[in-house]
Amino acid sequence: MSSELLNTFKTAAENYDEDVQQWKKTVGGKAIGFLLTDVPEELIHAAGFFPFGISGGDTRMDMADAHLQFWACSFVRSSLAMALEGKLDFLDGLIIPHTCDTTRMVLGIWKHAKPLSLMDNFRIPKQVERPSAQKYLVGEISRLKKLLEDFRGSEITDEELWQSIKLYNSNRELLRKLFFLHEKNPNLLGNRNLYTIIKSSMVISREKLNKLLQELLNSLEKEEETSSPGNHKSRIVISGTLLEPMEILDFFEESGGVIVADDLKNGFRYIESDVPEKSDPIEALAERQRSRIPSAAYDNNNNPRRDFLVNLAKEKKADGVILLHLKYCEPENYDYYDNYLALEAAGIPAMRIETEFGGVALGQLRTRVQAFMEMVGGGGSD
Amino acid sequence: MTEKKPFKTAELMKEMMKGYYRDGAHAKENGIPVVWVTAVSPVEIIYAAGLFPYYPENFGAVAAAKRVADKLSQVAESKGYAHDLCGYARCGIGDAYSEEHPVGEIVKPDITMVCNTQCGSLSKWFEVASRFYKVPHFVLDAPQIGNEPEELVTQYFIEQLYELISFLEEVTGKPYDYDRLNEVLKLSSEACRLWNEVLETAALEPAPFGFFDACFHMAPIVTMRGTQQAVDYYRALKEELDERIKQGIPAIPNERFKLYFDHIPHWPKLRWFSELFASRDALVAVSQYTHSWAYDFDLSRPIESLAEQYTEEFVNRFFDYRIELKKRLMEKYDVDGFVLFSNRSCKPNAFGLYDKRKIITEETGIPGVVFESDMSDLRFFSEEQIVDKLEPFFEQLEAGKES
Ligand code: SF4
Ligand code: SF4
Repeated sequence: MSSELLNTFKTAAENYDEDVQQWKKTVGGKAIGFLLTDVPEELIHAAGFFPFGISGGDTRMDMADAHLQFWACSFVRSSLAMALEGKLDFLDGLIIPHTCDTTRMVLGIWKHAKPLSLMDNFRIPKQVERPSAQKYLVGEISRLKKLLEDFRGSEITDEELWQSIKLYNSNRELLRKLFFLHEKNPNLLGNRNLYTIIKSSMVISREKLNKLLQELLNSLEKEEETSSPGNHKSRIVISGTLLEPMEILDFFEESGGVIVADDLKNGFRYIESDVPEKSDPIEALAERQRSRIPSAAYDNNNNPRRDFLVNLAKEKKADGVILLHLKYCEPENYDYYDNYLALEAAGIPAMRIETEFGGVALGQLRTRVQAFMEMVGGGGSD
Repeated sequence: MTEKKPFKTAELMKEMMKGYYRDGAHAKENGIPVVWVTAVSPVEIIYAAGLFPYYPENFGAVAAAKRVADKLSQVAESKGYAHDLCGYARCGIGDAYSEEHPVGEIVKPDITMVCNTQCGSLSKWFEVASRFYKVPHFVLDAPQIGNEPEELVTQYFIEQLYELISFLEEVTGKPYDYDRLNEVLKLSSEACRLWNEVLETAALEPAPFGFFDACFHMAPIVTMRGTQQAVDYYRALKEELDERIKQGIPAIPNERFKLYFDHIPHWPKLRWFSELFASRDALVAVSQYTHSWAYDFDLSRPIESLAEQYTEEFVNRFFDYRIELKKRLMEKYDVDGFVLFSNRSCKPNAFGLYDKRKIITEETGIPGVVFESDMSDLRFFSEEQIVDKLEPFFEQLEAGKES
């Protein structure tokens, strides 16, 4: 039962455009893409559009060469290349969160190279704790809302917005349940399936997603009664911007490593916090954005990333932390050394692994993961 | 090539900058906190608070010009900072972790204050620095804007300026002196006006002053705007230029072309570039970069005006508006061609240049070229590659003159 469902998620992640194409055909609606993942998708959904998460991919990078230097991160390069190759032609719009200088600059390039009807940056504040940040963010989200309203030709009502917020909150709740179930009993899903489901959640219609997740949870909970969690596994935390390539998850699995937490944009950070269901929906969306798991994209004085990571590793009783570094990702690079030092000072083994979208030598990657697992005393599996 | 007659004011500037660095080095002894600031940030607020503003970017540029950026960078790289980060940051971080200080030690901060109008790289570097030196950190956030100034962004920035002022009051334990701010702003405004006049002489034919001269003379407008010294300096420079205009002393011996250049100069090879262009009778006349400090403040609304000027800078504008601004400068200075520097250190200014080159030429008919290198690190510099890139461009210029 669960294996069938798992297959559905896997297929959805691989054939990322299937569901959105189908939806467009049946509903006749529009799809708005976004780069991962600091974008208030609830707004897009409330406007009646299909929010589609562009996850980059193994594509013809050379398509991007005429527009973007090779020293731009491969996530943005490959996403742009996908668009240029015509692989994202189903999109009617695109929203890019301003997380770094690359995302700040690529919007203009994209607009000229592959224009869509609606294209804009979501300009997240780069300080999130002073009073001015909340006020600005409310203004910025309202601006985005207006943009989407103009695109659809009518106002987005509070009721519509609340409906979408509730739907997203329940999506996230289900995904979190799955995440914690995996942590408790890693034999049920396995690393790869867990993250594949999160990835696919960005390209499946949200209504359908909830049904699938609920079914999966039901069947997994049944399986759990008869399956033992085993006790030889090493508990690993992954920190970084984006999880890529997915194969790395298998390599951990092979060496008896369970991913128990992360701060990745396409991992737990995506599903961690909900939109508080309080009086004003825009205020609530802003609040969620400001209180997300710290990322390299903005300054977070009260919840600094390195302390957060140390605490996370301790709380999850992690045996080690992998600092997954997407090559040419500038914000992440600036954080790396201090994160590393903080983990080291806390006695938590940590290692950096550099990856890229497309073109990663998987053999080498496997060797690095194995070396790390040996270091943290893994290697045994049950 | 015959040696150009040096500017008299050059000596003056060297003295001034020496004094500035001396003040920085002694600030702490004199009980004056050092605030790290970014090149495009409302430094007037800092000067008015009686604090010493220090520009670590400038440290990076000096290290680059002295050709030791790679050495400092390698120290940072050994800690895991990649060689594709901004060269200024690599120099600063490298210096922090280094035993050797080939250009003198960076002045350590008591406060780091970053304004992200320019880029996100500085924000991250200053975060790193505030952790390394264990000092309070303040972010002035400037969301990017399009063609029209946006009330949302201006208001956000105004509010942050007040937050900054409260923050400074707390750190210094002194109430903020708004009268002093008015005075500082007046001085800054005057220096900027003079700087703009200086830059505009590059539009004359032949011009007494060009982009490479501006790169040399810009240190005071970046670091000391808001002081009387900066005003005096640019007044002296302007006088000297007027004198040169009268005497007919041109910036390059035989100006036949004017060029537009983006963005930051190539510090370690500044001279090589300036000679290369001069040898082709091309005066690099104008750049958005040097125009960055030609602010135009409204003295009757100090805080509002600071917010407007520092958020509406070209580096904080969307793609299309930046193209417009470039085209405007190209037109104003009547250039024959443009050269764009795909600077590995500077993602926010380099990304988009390929398309901009194409679009500008399509829209104006002016030929342009993009070359690749790094503004500070000679490991990414290849004379041969750059000449190969520029050669056909120079030919296009010549062909343009003939037709
Ligand atoms: S934050 Fe990093 S991974 Fe994300 S777009 Fe920017 S450079 Fe790329
Ligand atoms: S060179 Fe570019 S990246 Fe470096 S500090 Fe200046 S604007 Fe920022």
